[in-house]
Amino acid sequence: MIDLDMAPYAAFVWPAWGISAVVLTALAARALIAARRWSAELKRLEAAQGTSGQEVRPQAAQRAIGPEE
Amino acid sequence: MFGLANPDRFARFTRPLVPVLWAAAVVLLLVGTGFAFTAPEDYQQGDTVRIMFVHVPAASVGLMIYGALGVSSFFALVFRHPLADAAARAAALPGAAYTLLALVTGSLWGKPMWGAWWAWGDARLLSVLILFLFYLGYMALRASIDDETRAARAAAVLGLVGLINLPIVKFSVDWWNTLHQPASLVRADGPSMPAVFLTPLLTMMAAYLVLFLAIWLTSIRTEIVRRRVVAIRARRALEA
Repeated sequence: MIDLDMAPYAAFVWPAWGISAVVLTALAARALIAARRWSAELKRLEAAQGTSGQEVRPQAAQRAIGPEE
Repeated sequence: MFGLANPDRFARFTRPLVPVLWAAAVVLLLVGTGFAFTAPEDYQQGDTVRIMFVHVPAASVGLMIYGALGVSSFFALVFRHPLADAAARAAALPGAAYTLLALVTGSLWGKPMWGAWWAWGDARLLSVLILFLFYLGYMALRASIDDETRAARAAAVLGLVGLINLPIVKFSVDWWNTLHQPASLVRADGPSMPAVFLTPLLTMMAAYLVLFLAIWLTSIRTEIVRRRVVAIRARRALEA
């Protein structure tokens, strides 16, 4: 049975859970939004230069992300 | 294992893994929250025992994350591997957030139980605060140097130095008399709490760990993509 009556400690229990929920949600949202934003930017740049980026990888990119297999 | 150090292979390997981790984290968080609010009140701590289910996972995983940051910093510094640097960088913000949560929820637990929000003389509290400052220092150092290679090396040195603090955090409750209670999970004679509290606690710890792994892998993959974007922009600027 779920117990949501935290009295007399409600002023401590709910803020602890609330802050945890907000911070974890913000962390997750930030990671997912950044992933989507940079993937879209890479696709835009690759489309603009007319290659997949994998086919023609510039030397600068090799230095930045390591050698190709 | 070492094959995954190649960014392309890492990206291919983690592509199917990342959505599974996100889904597992959501399920574990929901189940753990359900367990946490169906557990009975503690006979001494009353309902404040439910703070343990968010405090202990944040603290223990926050400590583990610094271990991951330190090991990644070592590989970045010694082998100058870009993926190791990306891993260290991606661990810093979640680690800082988890450690901040440990400090805040610990304070919210301490006030009704100890009668104090904070105790400067407590070795566990101080060593966790220092851990948080190491995370902040790592991120500040990276942000303060424009040259990414120099920033990565300087931050990696700081990341390695911070590893010294990990055993101090872990064993502070054994080495000094502290207000903070001693270890109740990782003990030679086994956990010192009943299953009714152990089950929600372990579920929430698994949830926090899997959520971190989802965020970490997503952020490392994003960092690889960001570096490709930066490299393409740099090449275009040279060609223009």
